[in-house]
Amino acid sequence: MLRLVAARIALGLVSLLLVSLAIFAITSLLPGDAAQEQLGQAATRETVEALRRNLGLDQPGHVRYLRWIGGLLQGDFGRSLVNDMPVAQLIGSRLPNSLMLAAATAAVSVPLALAIGTTAAMWRGTAYDRAVSMLTLSVVSVPEFLVATAAVIVFAVQLRWVSALSAAADITSVGQFFRVFALPVFSLCCVIIAQMVRMTRAALIDQLRAPYVEMAVLKGVGPWRVVLTHALPNAIGPIANAVALSLSYLLGGVIIVETIFNYPGVAKLMVDGVAQRDLPVVQACAMLFCAAYLVLVTTADVVAILANPRLRHG
Amino acid sequence: MTDRKFEELGSAEESRVLDAVRRGATRRDLMAMLGAGGMAAATAGSIIGAATQAVAQEPKRGGRIRVSGTSTSTADTLDPAKQSLSTDYARCNMFYNPLTTLDGSLTPRPALAESWDNQAATVWTFKLRDGVTFHDGKPLTAEDVVFSLSRHKDPATASRARSLATQMKEIVATGPREVRITLEAPNADLPVVLGTFHFHIIKAGTSDFSTAIGTGPFLCKEFQPGVRSIATRNPNYWQNNKPYLDEVEFIGIPDEQARVNALLSGDVQLIGGVDPRSVRRIQQTQGFSVFETKSGYYTNLIMRLDQSPGSNPDFVLAMKHLFDRAQMRTAILRNYGVIGNDQPIDPTNRFYFAGLPQRPFDLDKAKFHFQRSGVGSTALPVVCSPAAPNSIDMAQVMQQSAQRIGMNLEVRRVPADGYWSNHWFKHPIGFGAINPRPSADILLTLFFKSDAAWNESAWRNPQFDQLLAAARAETDDAKRRQMYADMQVMIHNGSGIGIPVFQSLLDGHSAKLKGLGAIPVGSLMGYDFAQHVWWEG
Amino acid sequence: MSRMLRQLRPAGLIGLAILAFWLAMAAIGPAVAPHDAGAIVDMEVFLPVSAQFPLGTDYLGRDMLSRVLHGTRYTVGVALVAALIASGSGLMLGMCAAIWGGWVDGAISRTLDTLISIPSKMFALVVVAAFGSSVPVLILMAGIIYTPGAYRIARSLAVTVNAQDFVTVARARGEGTLHLAGAEILPNIIGPVLADFGLRFVYIVLLLAGMSFLGLGVQPPNADWGSLVRENMAGLYEAAPAVLMPAFAIASLTIGVNLAIDVLSGGRRAADER
Repeated sequence: MLRLVAARIALGLVSLLLVSLAIFAITSLLPGDAAQEQLGQAATRETVEALRRNLGLDQPGHVRYLRWIGGLLQGDFGRSLVNDMPVAQLIGSRLPNSLMLAAATAAVSVPLALAIGTTAAMWRGTAYDRAVSMLTLSVVSVPEFLVATAAVIVFAVQLRWVSALSAAADITSVGQFFRVFALPVFSLCCVIIAQMVRMTRAALIDQLRAPYVEMAVLKGVGPWRVVLTHALPNAIGPIANAVALSLSYLLGGVIIVETIFNYPGVAKLMVDGVAQRDLPVVQACAMLFCAAYLVLVTTADVVAILANPRLRHG
Repeated sequence: MTDRKFEELGSAEESRVLDAVRRGATRRDLMAMLGAGGMAAATAGSIIGAATQAVAQEPKRGGRIRVSGTSTSTADTLDPAKQSLSTDYARCNMFYNPLTTLDGSLTPRPALAESWDNQAATVWTFKLRDGVTFHDGKPLTAEDVVFSLSRHKDPATASRARSLATQMKEIVATGPREVRITLEAPNADLPVVLGTFHFHIIKAGTSDFSTAIGTGPFLCKEFQPGVRSIATRNPNYWQNNKPYLDEVEFIGIPDEQARVNALLSGDVQLIGGVDPRSVRRIQQTQGFSVFETKSGYYTNLIMRLDQSPGSNPDFVLAMKHLFDRAQMRTAILRNYGVIGNDQPIDPTNRFYFAGLPQRPFDLDKAKFHFQRSGVGSTALPVVCSPAAPNSIDMAQVMQQSAQRIGMNLEVRRVPADGYWSNHWFKHPIGFGAINPRPSADILLTLFFKSDAAWNESAWRNPQFDQLLAAARAETDDAKRRQMYADMQVMIHNGSGIGIPVFQSLLDGHSAKLKGLGAIPVGSLMGYDFAQHVWWEG
Repeated sequence: MSRMLRQLRPAGLIGLAILAFWLAMAAIGPAVAPHDAGAIVDMEVFLPVSAQFPLGTDYLGRDMLSRVLHGTRYTVGVALVAALIASGSGLMLGMCAAIWGGWVDGAISRTLDTLISIPSKMFALVVVAAFGSSVPVLILMAGIIYTPGAYRIARSLAVTVNAQDFVTVARARGEGTLHLAGAEILPNIIGPVLADFGLRFVYIVLLLAGMSFLGLGVQPPNADWGSLVRENMAGLYEAAPAVLMPAFAIASLTIGVNLAIDVLSGGRRAADER
């Protein structure tokens, strides 16, 4: 197991390097550079060239990349091309917000989804199962911006129960925490819960009709024990992966929620970075998301292996 | 109206009338009071009416509001030279003053300069107001002004106003409160230029812009780029009684829907950048209203005159007759706009030429010119983007009209991302969007002069260029007016630019927020709301 | 088991009917729509449901029914093909990774990890810049964006099955990769894979709105359903049908596709039992 994790970490570093290279290559393919985007409508040839020199963009690409990698090896993520602030500081000021939102959403959605998915699988074919199915499908098919905006209109504008703005800086009490996070967490749960519920249900049902489960049922094992001790260990792989995929969305994919609630997180930092061609920021963000993704899927694989002894020799 | 009436009186007279009204004086008392000063009864009557109204709307001191602009980023700045977004202007206007300010018709009025004078529009002398101090107590001197203006010429400052500043050949202090500016060439609009926000006055030698020490109505209590700015009342402000608010928190919410929601949920009290489509919603909510600023803001069709099909004058004329301007104004702008006439000077500008006949929506004429152009039914791509507001909708409305005369317009939407560097006037037919500019001269020089970098349609007219230079040097207002009228006619007839409508700028606010006015350089009262508004909590 | 199947049936049939309806509309929608997608039919915007405009009018005064019908092919067609690409390639790569393991698994996994870490907005912008904007490019783009997710699920399912005795036995018999994948692993993972496909389909429908906002794919006046929701958002507070109807269309399509998938899985179970 330790060897597997160690190998994954080593491979993960390779992935991160690949990501930084890919981002670098893609950015150089994109029309327009940081100098042009910064000047926008005000760009003339002279001003663009002056700004390029200023930002060091007149250097050839590979030189810039090597310099950036060199800095990275010394723990320096570089400085933003837009405002000359250290990238580490920019991300550092927003990452805690993103992690807090992700943690709150995960804490609500994962147990809920697993419980719903498991019960739906146990009582498959019943009215409950069908209702769960309809509900999760309806919720996931409403565009995220519609869910979030509708939630704001109802709960913040009409009822005034919660705040329309999520300023993470102002939290001092549990009540305030709830006021700030209720709507973003609700909107995000709507998006990610369906995948976990449906995968849990499908994977469990697949196992429940396997011969060994029927055997256990014939032996007189109770339904809960069948699910929890027989079916679940074999189904845990895909379920853990579905959870990992859903959670990986919570860091980089929450741009719509961050926009609608004006929440200062890293997804928005990255999208702004892309628009501004702020390469150091985009690169750091992409590597951060990649690292988070790798941690999640590796955890999912480790969980699957721990739960299913057969996989240990694989 | 109220203001004009009071201007007829001296300020001492004015405060006497107001005081009397406040004390509860009857109309008869007031008539007697003014009549004693030898004033005709009719004049006195209207003044008393105005005074009564003014007291009813009299500013209240105190209160704290939160205001949201349309953007927020870590590039937010307190350096006047680096201001680039409307939110920067709004923020810096709380802390700094320029030498002049522009009023509702964009005419320069005294601010830190109490008066100015010129010789042949080339040598300008500005006299500074007495008794103005910076937030740290240092009195304002000519040195500060020389420093504030000269720094824009230094490339190291990376000023966004460098091109405007280079015309100032020499900037010297000729006394403790007098500055002389010598220009490279005559410019009658210098006081207008100096009323733009980049020329805010800072303390001589300032190099740290992590906080703001200016002469403005508010002190900078907190500035976090990309998060918020907090401004508290400057008790020593040079304008009597102003500002009224104790504190202003300024934030940015880029998403329009989110901004409107924040207003209606009571999280903020004033927002800029309201979409016409949200107006109904704000007005129908108890306790909120919308403030309209008519402005010269426009989204324009660009037909390159140096490329086919725009090189054919008949085609350009056909397109200009294809604008269903009334429908665009109704369906896209919800009537929050003014019909345009294919020239860029809007009716709020003092040089607007009202005598130019309106070009109608005329399918017959369009068809006639289109057929004469011989372009035929080939698909003509029209490039539009969310970057040029409403351009996608305008293109679709045009496409519908074009179908009716057998013209095949193909709407091509491209990303907002990179629009200005990659698409703007790079296609035969496309869209641009032009923000209001403080003077007709700046606008025409930037976008219509033959050799202008942003001559969007590649329109070349030497006669126009001569007229533009002559108008800039002319100090006689009547003569200038005629020259600008002639230039508007030339653009209307010859350029490849179609301007269907001028768009109003809309702000949403709590009904308890009073005192908003229109200054057409931008929304939020020309970004200068902070010192004018008050809170009736 | 057969009792369960009977219970699934009616729901499944409804699903198939919804799906068939939308597929038909994708084919003939523009022909049966009362107006052009771009025709401005009324000066009033966000009109409520009426006999003249069964789904009201949109933010520019266009007939919503016509816009939804015209948009069907850009939604159903694009999303269906793109979801097939994503789930199909994800499934194949996932099975390869599980069967061969070792460095093949590592190489595929690392490549797709890299892919998933590139912001999709950036990816889309590059694609538009390089290949221009057309519907095939849009389909390919959406398919590629969702391949890594489909791969993760398929791989985790296949790895579990691959470790079971009957696969080990088949491998010992000397069966080839194709047999292992097609006959041993696929039948045992198809249920969850199909469930995943159903969701991926929805994700792609929703992704299209964002992509067309970036100028990729469908050009105005045509619009996919997600874009119809987005462009009419200002009508939300007055509950305008212009914003709700396309959302209902998306939901009905989602439910239809997923119910139909349940039928397919159910049919397979019945076959298994025999």
